[in-house]
Amino acid sequence: MTAGAPAAARPVPARPGRWPTAGRLLRLELRNNAMLWMLPVAAALFWFTTYRKAMAMPPLWNLRAPSMQTGALLAFVFPVAGAAAWTGSREGRRHTTDLVTIAARPRWARLLAAWAATTCWAMAGYLGCVAVLYGVTAQQATWGGPLWWPAVVTAASLPALSALGFAAGTLVPSRFTPPLAAVGAFFVLALSTELINGSQSYWQISPLVTKPWDIGPDAGMATFYPYLPDLPLAQVMFLAGLTVAVLGALALPGGPGGTWLRRPAAAITVAGLLAAGTAVALAGAGRLDAHGMIAIPALHDAASDRPLRYTPACSHTRVPVCLNPAYAGYLPATAAALAPVLAEVAGLPGAPVRVSQAAATYRQGVGNSVSIGLAGPDISGRPPVFRLVLLDQLPGPTMTTSALAAALRSSAGPAIVADVIGGGRSPSPAQRAVIAALLIAAGQPVHGPSPSSPPAGREPGMAPPVPAPGSPAYAAARRFAALPASARRAWLARHLPALRAGQIALARLP
Amino acid sequence: MTADGVSEAAAARAGDPPPAGPLTAGLRLVRLHAASRRVPAAAMAIAACAIGLRIALAGSWDSYGALQLPLVFEAGSAAAIAVITASPLGEPERVTGRWLPFLRLATVLVLTAAAAAALAAAGAGAHLAGGALDVLRNVAGMTGLGLLCAAVLGGGLAWAGPVGYLVAGAYALYTQWHGPALTTPWLWPARPPHDLGAAICAGLVFAAGLAVITIRGARDPVGE
Repeated sequence: MTAGAPAAARPVPARPGRWPTAGRLLRLELRNNAMLWMLPVAAALFWFTTYRKAMAMPPLWNLRAPSMQTGALLAFVFPVAGAAAWTGSREGRRHTTDLVTIAARPRWARLLAAWAATTCWAMAGYLGCVAVLYGVTAQQATWGGPLWWPAVVTAASLPALSALGFAAGTLVPSRFTPPLAAVGAFFVLALSTELINGSQSYWQISPLVTKPWDIGPDAGMATFYPYLPDLPLAQVMFLAGLTVAVLGALALPGGPGGTWLRRPAAAITVAGLLAAGTAVALAGAGRLDAHGMIAIPALHDAASDRPLRYTPACSHTRVPVCLNPAYAGYLPATAAALAPVLAEVAGLPGAPVRVSQAAATYRQGVGNSVSIGLAGPDISGRPPVFRLVLLDQLPGPTMTTSALAAALRSSAGPAIVADVIGGGRSPSPAQRAVIAALLIAAGQPVHGPSPSSPPAGREPGMAPPVPAPGSPAYAAARRFAALPASARRAWLARHLPALRAGQIALARLP
Repeated sequence: MTADGVSEAAAARAGDPPPAGPLTAGLRLVRLHAASRRVPAAAMAIAACAIGLRIALAGSWDSYGALQLPLVFEAGSAAAIAVITASPLGEPERVTGRWLPFLRLATVLVLTAAAAAALAAAGAGAHLAGGALDVLRNVAGMTGLGLLCAAVLGGGLAWAGPVGYLVAGAYALYTQWHGPALTTPWLWPARPPHDLGAAICAGLVFAAGLAVITIRGARDPVGE
């Protein structure tokens, strides 16, 4: 050997790095994972199907958070299941199964690292999407805080979807497996909800379900009462059990270096299946509670039935209109819509001294139908308070503020007048005439609300009865409405008890 | 005996077939190309989608589910067509394969036609929302998306296009119930079968995908 010859390379002893072996393996997998490529697709789908939809809703946590759970899950289902299947089928596709069999780590450990990397990227992308949506909502919402259970359920779904896709890719390592796993996951998740029938359906275990199925956006829940964690708990239990069972099953084939794992893996699989099965049984025991959420007796905490405490947002009008602070954005329009009618009846015996927003009450109907309305009379208490359910608390398309005000004018306005004048469902001709006269004086239409808009506090379509044009009652109403406001009030102040009792004939109206 | 004579004699002893004619060679080329792209497996996947659709149509679905159902199987078929663009041979094949663009074109066209026919046949006699015209438009459009994805992401991940579009299309269908409805023709699954704008959009995407995959092929790393 000459002096100029290069020194022979000596093997460098392995130094313990900052990362343990499993951590280094995970880091390698993270750098080469297909889910990274899928994140832009998932984010784009989240924006298109979930973020835009949520931003079109009023800034209410109880509307946006459940909508986010369903939308985010559908946006992430195919990228996660597909990328996991792609990762799981890697060794088979690249024909490196024999090559990696001789590696020091058991097969299960290698597979778990690849699964964990896929799940980590999916979770990172999902949490980023949730952060944006919740951050924007936090800036816009007037009351309340983030509802975390919807975010948790979707977060628990991602490892399960990843595990299922990964297992499919491992079992059938083909280039066709990822698309079939992605389409299959979407199909099962999206269309399985077709099987839900009522609030006691086992299919409510689907992580897409946040409330009674098929009622659409529902702003009536989780504003006056807490967001019940019963169904989310069962869903998380199911998803965790499913994840554990599938990951445990991956170790069952054994292989070199992993035969000792079979028994613990079998135990893990059985435990996961038991947890998932128990969760399904719990979901099947659910029932729709009066506040619009699914309650599961075995998981229910009675403290969740207590109403939330809040300071209502009230208008500074003669008869204050008070709303839940979450709906404070609607207060000016609501107060303005009711002001003319309230001015007509304010100060009369039995007239409301305040209008207060009330919680909607839910009742399960046949199949997936749910009836929603106000329990009890519209006016109650001493001094009398008119209880109001905003139309946005009822299922249906989200309304603009002006549309909501118009609907309130034609539903709650007549209801307030009818409650003050009395007569119930079958008023006397004089009562009808006075109701119509006060509505005319307040600038209201006297034909009642349209059949499609449910009036507050009454059965849908039941408008306060008004006299037919051309009838004697209609003529009396026109005559009474034409009186000066002071004359109307003076007459009503003297005769309202008798009018309410139905003791005044039509001819006695001035 | 010369070296050539030795090799000829060895070939004769091994029982090699005599040199084939152009037709036989062409058929062999098609067969080898189809085998290298897993075309038989793709055909089986398309058949499975058609059978799945037929079985699903036998069930009872509400109007929303019934509209969404064919789209799922159309996306599955389009994804299966898109992934066959992945080449296991890579650069050597691209350099030496004179007929490769035509083979790619023919393979995609045949499989797309087969998928549309199979899915339309699966809906015969049942209530297939949108009918055969809808199937043809959706399969062609989503296959085009898959082919474009193959050119960008590689054949292995080309399924992301059709399957991602499935989610967008299903959402567009959902907005027909829970407005505001999305009516752009680029979301053709949500448009009626006879909508010309939607058909043109789907056709444009299919033509673009077909052109790109015929000329360039999929972007594929060797070994995938």
